[in-house]
Amino acid sequence: MATNPMRQFEVYRIGPEIKIAGVDLSFTNASFFMLFSAVAICAVLFLGTKEKKLIPDKFQLISEIFYNFIAKMINDTAGSKAKPYFPFIFSLFMFVLFCNMLGMLPYSFTVTSHIIVTLLMAIFIFIAVTVIGFLKHGFGYLKLFVPNGVPIVLLPLITVIEIISYLSRPVSLAVRLFANMMAGHTMLKVFGGFVISLGMLGGWLPLSFSVALTGLEILVAFLQAYVFAILTCIYLNDALNLHH
Amino acid sequence: MANFNDFKTRLKIAKDKLKNNPNNINSNRNSSFMGSAFKLGTELVAAVVVGTIIGFILDSWFDTKPWLIILFFFLGSVAGILNVIKVAKRMQEKE
Repeated sequence: MATNPMRQFEVYRIGPEIKIAGVDLSFTNASFFMLFSAVAICAVLFLGTKEKKLIPDKFQLISEIFYNFIAKMINDTAGSKAKPYFPFIFSLFMFVLFCNMLGMLPYSFTVTSHIIVTLLMAIFIFIAVTVIGFLKHGFGYLKLFVPNGVPIVLLPLITVIEIISYLSRPVSLAVRLFANMMAGHTMLKVFGGFVISLGMLGGWLPLSFSVALTGLEILVAFLQAYVFAILTCIYLNDALNLHH
Repeated sequence: MANFNDFKTRLKIAKDKLKNNPNNINSNRNSSFMGSAFKLGTELVAAVVVGTIIGFILDSWFDTKPWLIILFFFLGSVAGILNVIKVAKRMQEKE
């Protein structure tokens, strides 16, 4: 039955098959959980900002904490010039965080454990940052690939290396989030399987491991959302303020 | 208004507690350190992968198998190490 630890990552169709121009656009469990996290974010923020009390209730408190956290992070890493991009980074962080956290619920599906989801977000960020950089600095943005104080002989080599390092940004961004979520969930499932196969006698050890791993996974779920957002800020910083 | 005064005293007690507990700032820092630790590993691997893919594509364009893939593998490794150094430098600056 559910003994295969990779079964949890299966994407299946919910409801009728929808095909538009040969492209399969059916509603899947992945789309459901993306929609669910978006609705959950809206609900939390709506409840938090419905009545602005002097003494905040739980939802208002949590919305304010998220807001302050992201605002401080953007200010610290990308400076005050990055203020206009606050909505984007805030939505990005909240979406990744809620997808990760909802994936921690039993029987749920972790959207961010699929590389296509994380890679799409990473490529979007990469293109957006590159466009912003060129809009702000024109062709001067290409100076990013030519560091200061390099001898002329080494310049072509260094430029190629810098370009590779620039192109590796979306890959590292996507792979980090995907690998962390996938590895963690697989490990949880494997230890869960040990509990069943060892039974009442020996199952207690893997069960205790499972409990500890669940705690660790919740930490990782938060941390990866944080890292995803902070790296976006760092890339934005490179685009906004050349020669950091 | 009784509720408000009650809240005021509670806030004061909480703030005093926070002042007397220097560990509080530390624990916050620890989690961000762990975040940076996670960052370093993939930074290295991603550049090597991207370099190799570029080499592979250029090879099939210019029909020079396998020389460009070898060259770009090493360039990618260099870029990966450079990335790690950059991230580590940024981490040091923050302190």
